[in-house]
Amino acid sequence: MLTGTADVQALAAGAPVMETLDTGPAELVDVDVLQAAFEIPYASREALLPPGLHPTTPPLLIVLAWRVGQSPWGPFSMAQARVSCRSGVRPRGFVAGCIVDRPDAAAALAGGWGLPAVPGTVELHRAYDRVELAVSRDGAPALELVAVDPDPLDRGDAQFTVTTALAQTPRGLRLVQIEPEYALRRVERVRPHVTAFDGAAWALAGVVPRYPVAATISRGDVTLAPLRFLSRADVNAFEGTERI
Amino acid sequence: MQFGIFFEMSTPRPFSPGIERTVYHHALEQARLADELGFDWVWAVEHHFLEEYSHCSAPEVVLSAVAAQTRQIRVGHGAVVCVPEMNHPIRVAERAAALDIISDGRLEFGTARSSTWTELGGFQVDPDDTKKTWDEYVRVLPRMWADEPLSYEGTCFSMPERNVLPKPVQKPHPPMWVTVTSPGTELDAAERGLGCLGVAATSYAEQERRTREYHRVVQSCDPVSTVVNDQVTTLNFLYCHEDAAHAAASGMRMVQLFGLSNSHLLWTREAYPTRAYQSLGNLAPGGAADRSGPGDPHGIPEGIGVGDPDRLVAVIRRWESIGITGINFFVNACEVIGQDDVLASMRLFANEVMPKFRTEASGPGGTAC
Repeated sequence: MLTGTADVQALAAGAPVMETLDTGPAELVDVDVLQAAFEIPYASREALLPPGLHPTTPPLLIVLAWRVGQSPWGPFSMAQARVSCRSGVRPRGFVAGCIVDRPDAAAALAGGWGLPAVPGTVELHRAYDRVELAVSRDGAPALELVAVDPDPLDRGDAQFTVTTALAQTPRGLRLVQIEPEYALRRVERVRPHVTAFDGAAWALAGVVPRYPVAATISRGDVTLAPLRFLSRADVNAFEGTERI
Repeated sequence: MQFGIFFEMSTPRPFSPGIERTVYHHALEQARLADELGFDWVWAVEHHFLEEYSHCSAPEVVLSAVAAQTRQIRVGHGAVVCVPEMNHPIRVAERAAALDIISDGRLEFGTARSSTWTELGGFQVDPDDTKKTWDEYVRVLPRMWADEPLSYEGTCFSMPERNVLPKPVQKPHPPMWVTVTSPGTELDAAERGLGCLGVAATSYAEQERRTREYHRVVQSCDPVSTVVNDQVTTLNFLYCHEDAAHAAASGMRMVQLFGLSNSHLLWTREAYPTRAYQSLGNLAPGGAADRSGPGDPHGIPEGIGVGDPDRLVAVIRRWESIGITGINFFVNACEVIGQDDVLASMRLFANEVMPKFRTEASGPGGTAC
């Protein structure tokens, strides 16, 4: 069974600090949601994950972007780069990097849900037959993505894997399980294509989103639910899962 | 009730030199013993690229060896992936017929469409299309085995008039099955008059519901052939030992390891959003691998074929009572049980359990329609 081999302390360098685990819920209204999956090389599958997680084969880089119309922090946009994985037997996406265009939203997502949110620009635009996502950090492009040819799907056909992110919590360094609840009104599948990707901007140095799989563009509401579980990053989930 | 063994060729890491040879030769030894002991079937899956979980990408080769090394047991091609990027339908018909000849008419022919992105993506298959191509295959394959010659114009392939050779020994053709993972696929099988080859772990209650629906629908099926296979089988684990505590300890290690490796597969729906794949995995919550075993002193989940002979008789009686006509067993996973123990488990099962279910003659299914 493959397990992650990343140095937990090295990963912890980018981990946010959470003062409390008693967070949420937070309602995000009128959200455009782009999720795009790309295969990445086998060679990186273990090195990107802590020992508490298991890679998938093939490993996927999953880009998740939100353009939020209303939230407790006002309108904001966010983009995450996640790596597909398993926590025990459960499907998860490990957040390597997260860029948010509004500082107070970034602070809330980091402090409340453990997302490694840093400031940057995130522009998600939906046109009739295409979706464009442009993300930059420190003024440099982090990701440019185009997705075309929308094909309607049923609302339940979009699959959003539960998120896990490494954070300094009141219980110590932990993987925080983040479970956004999606109430979607429209879902379309689109064909994604990455035109620019800087792995270092997402703490994914050397990763190349080599083979596009598929993407969805959706619209609806998202609830950031209260946290329920933590797990240790250095041991597997069967040993290291903790209920909050 | 019929019994089979089921090979995934699961292979433990590290993939040291010779490990796949060990796994394959252990499986062949198990098949020879199953034949001697009176098991009814030996099945081999078709999977591609599934590290650890299944290194069984050429089942027709495995089953040719099984056929050559056995005398009575039926060889189950379980199942051929019916998408053209992986298997051209003419080649499927040819290989299956040859295997039926080699085995002297002992072939059981399973059909499937693959359920992981690892496999579909590897062959660059469009997941939206697999149900359509599977449907086309199951309708044209019986014609390839029977018609001399055949011309065909279809959606996923066409062919000018040719005689597809050889023809199978069994007439009109070997029994046909559909692997059933997602809820609802049993109805696809029933509507076409195809046997229901269960490959997902389900509870008694869920299997009873599926079996009842299958039998209801198959009564009025529009069969793809001139024969209907109306058997319903399920998949299980087998570890039988006189000492119930030992059986539980060893058997459940196999069950848990299989469940873990299964959960690590990258299911199509997780990577590729589509209406064509509604399930995320085949060990869904509520399935056998997740259920605790209230009332079982060793914590073995309900329905699992792990335990002493008395427990296994009771478990199989229950499966029988809900309409299951056959059970296929994993006898090992990733070599977690030593080969000698696997063979001893099979012998004990054959001596102490199987006779309880042999009061009536059982044979290959199939009724003329």
